Amino acid sequence: MSRAGTDDLLRVAEIACEAAVKAGAEFADAFAERGRDLSVSVEKNAIGSTDARLRSSISVRTFVAGGTGWWSASTTSEETAREAGLKSAELARAAEPDPDFVSLVSPAPYPLVEGLYDERLASLGGPDVASWMIENIDSALGAAPDAVVSGQADAHTREHALANSLGVRAAQRTTRAAIYVQVILRRNGDVGTFYEWDSARRLVDLTPAGLGAKAAAEAARYLGSQTIKTATLPVVFGPLAARALFLGLCSAASAEDIQRKRSFLVGKKNEAIASEHITLVDDALVPGGLLSGTFDGDGAAHGPVTLVDRGTLCTYLHSNYTATKSGEANTGHATRLGIAPTNIRPTPGMKTAAEIIGEVDDGIYVVLGRPSPETASGQISALVDAGFRIEKGALTYPLKNTMVAGHALEWLGSLDAVSSDYREEPGLILPTVRIPSVRVASED
Amino acid sequence: MDRKAVKLQLERLREAAARRKVDFAEIRCAAVAHSALMLQDGRADRVGAGRRTGMGVRVLSNGAWGFASTESLDESDWLASLEDALDMARVSAVRMDEPVVLPDTPGVVDDVQTSFEIDPTSVSLDRTLAAVKGYEEASGRHACHSLANLMTGYNDAHQVEIVCNTRGSLISSETVRTLLWHAITTQNGSLRQRCREVRAGQTGFELVEQTPAAHFSVEAARRAVSLLSAPPAPAGKFPAVFDPSIAGLLVHEALGHNTEADSVLTGQSILDGKLGKKIAADCISVVDDSDIPGSWGSYQYDSEGTPGGRRTLIEKGVLKSFLHSLETAGKMGVEPTGSARADGFAHRPIVRMSNTMILPGQSSLEDLLADIDLGILLRAGQWGYVWCEKGQYTCHAGEGIMIRNGQLAEKVRDVSVSGMVLETLANALDVSRDFELKMPGNCGKDGQGMAVNGGGPYVKVREIVVGGQA
Repeated sequence: MSRAGTDDLLRVAEIACEAAVKAGAEFADAFAERGRDLSVSVEKNAIGSTDARLRSSISVRTFVAGGTGWWSASTTSEETAREAGLKSAELARAAEPDPDFVSLVSPAPYPLVEGLYDERLASLGGPDVASWMIENIDSALGAAPDAVVSGQADAHTREHALANSLGVRAAQRTTRAAIYVQVILRRNGDVGTFYEWDSARRLVDLTPAGLGAKAAAEAARYLGSQTIKTATLPVVFGPLAARALFLGLCSAASAEDIQRKRSFLVGKKNEAIASEHITLVDDALVPGGLLSGTFDGDGAAHGPVTLVDRGTLCTYLHSNYTATKSGEANTGHATRLGIAPTNIRPTPGMKTAAEIIGEVDDGIYVVLGRPSPETASGQISALVDAGFRIEKGALTYPLKNTMVAGHALEWLGSLDAVSSDYREEPGLILPTVRIPSVRVASED
Repeated sequence: MDRKAVKLQLERLREAAARRKVDFAEIRCAAVAHSALMLQDGRADRVGAGRRTGMGVRVLSNGAWGFASTESLDESDWLASLEDALDMARVSAVRMDEPVVLPDTPGVVDDVQTSFEIDPTSVSLDRTLAAVKGYEEASGRHACHSLANLMTGYNDAHQVEIVCNTRGSLISSETVRTLLWHAITTQNGSLRQRCREVRAGQTGFELVEQTPAAHFSVEAARRAVSLLSAPPAPAGKFPAVFDPSIAGLLVHEALGHNTEADSVLTGQSILDGKLGKKIAADCISVVDDSDIPGSWGSYQYDSEGTPGGRRTLIEKGVLKSFLHSLETAGKMGVEPTGSARADGFAHRPIVRMSNTMILPGQSSLEDLLADIDLGILLRAGQWGYVWCEKGQYTCHAGEGIMIRNGQLAEKVRDVSVSGMVLETLANALDVSRDFELKMPGNCGKDGQGMAVNGGGPYVKVREIVVGGQA
């Protein structure tokens, strides 16, 4: 990694834009990055491999009459940048015109977002990352001597820069660490398994210790899983399962999908799409947030957006292109290839997760799963990867081979509780939610 | 890539690794040139291309693995990566299991390439665009008033990968891949349905020439239109028949991942201890075959330089073998199967499938349906995943057709199913003689993607859980 910051990456991006314009492009932007990844993989209570990767890339988008050409390469030399600019311009000339394209983003000040780069994390070596996993193998075995532990720890450092032909110049350095620990318990012909994880942009937000013990304790709870009768039941989605639901909803608010008529949220702006319990803010400016940043893939400034306010869809998520096309404000959610949400932060409710579960007489609690709506249809049909039966307000036994299904708007419209307590990961708020009537399919 | 020069550079790095007294080293250099074109609602407004090059070096030192990669082709950077890999091996050694010992395998020197008829780089953009527009127009015509959105894409890639290891192997593999995809969204009031079709192979532009719209984009359109008038799938446990694409998805997700020997050795597979035992019904025989010309999941040598081939995983219900890398073969005392594949130069090889399929039987589809009073035929496999350690899987089908009194009846939409791997395999009742290998995809494992294919006959199972709404 360069210690010189991102100046050289910005220069490479500028060169690519200059080459594209010289080759006939009306507009061009270029994104250059480099990074270092360290990964330690654990397989059956031992380190299986340790990997170090150096990576770099440049991608150039060039516009001629709105038609887009792009060209990418895995080196960031000035020679490659010139080649990328030239070739992307050739491709843009071959693309068909798009009258909805007006211009690229113009220069504007960027907000300051603290905590995205940690010098201590950037300077970590393989032994540091390995120590996290060794500690977690030991903590899992301490909690369950028969635990089979697998997982991975990573430390990433990244520098990236974006320039465009209108004078936008943006650069960022980020770091990220992630630990994932899975524990399998095999007892008397039965299997219980669970995983725990932590992730952060700075070491002060990372708690590597004890994930193995937590995963082992949880894994034991999943021994003795059972099927249930197919029925319509209240379903409580825990923090990780609820995140999949909210992420699917926010992804479907992509203005690109709306304008192309391939989202179930078409025509729903300023309409009630969920119960009044749901307020969702997308905020890329949270200090140290996992999905935080100062600028988006177009070079537009990020900012907080209230996506859903007490059940009403307030806006779609825009890129520069979709905002211009619709005449709406750019929300700064472009990626280099499309549109994506950032840190999703549901507003907590009034009841605790325990109270929400406690009020259910007969239902299920989904801990892990992917109940994310299909973007076009809004339909959900998902396996309960890990979950429990709720009987008389208490979690009784783990579930096996059980699925949940329904439509996102029906689920969200009837959602009757968001928890006041929540799991918090940097930038993210992960509450528990309850939907009173869900079709649950299983073997009986 | 100047192959001759790169080979010499690889050999010099191999010598440098040998001088460091490693147990084993493998160095892979790859160069990929790719191009893509996407149409949205009749307009090719995104045309792209690019290239990616780099080198990855993996060392086994004192029984522990270390890996490093760089996107540079400079020899000095390669030597630095070798030092990084040695450092990483020292980190792995801090908490390792038994030291890794690889089986003795002979070095191989070879140059191989996939065959193709029309080099994609020789095809003009206009010709590609005309073909892709043809797909889109045919689909749009079929959907007519219910059309909401069309997307059609064309991608091709030309890859040269050279594998060099301390066993003396030096293998250059040249691969050309071409892929077509089409997605259509239809709408009737507030109901939307999106259907997708993919055709892909290790072929040149002839894939386009050999893919008529009627068997590709119009197939997606036909499904997307018909599902607008289909009710939601029912919920509960039903007798089921899988079409070849679902059979391919099932055999890959539910069974295939459990036969990967790294999962077996790390305690994650439900098939640990079941080698030689009956794990499926008699009608189920499964192979993984990397040797099928033109198939998306094929290759001649894996990323460790071991030849691929056809491997029998299940024969008449009996588990016959696992898929192996050098390491897993060494640990289990068997021959490597050439199943160690890496997602490009920036990842180390791990055990992967290639083209995995259930073998056909003698029955017709009508035979399979005949005695089902109420069941469901699942078609158009979309995606799936498995929890290997539990043996619990799920698959999503593009559509379902209810089976009533032995006959195909009404279509149903939004169909996902789940099951327990060993129960589903044991509950297989019959397989058809009709067979297709047509489920090309990019399988994810440990953060690596991999080109694989899956297929099979129609497969009848006693019961499966359908995650429907009715």
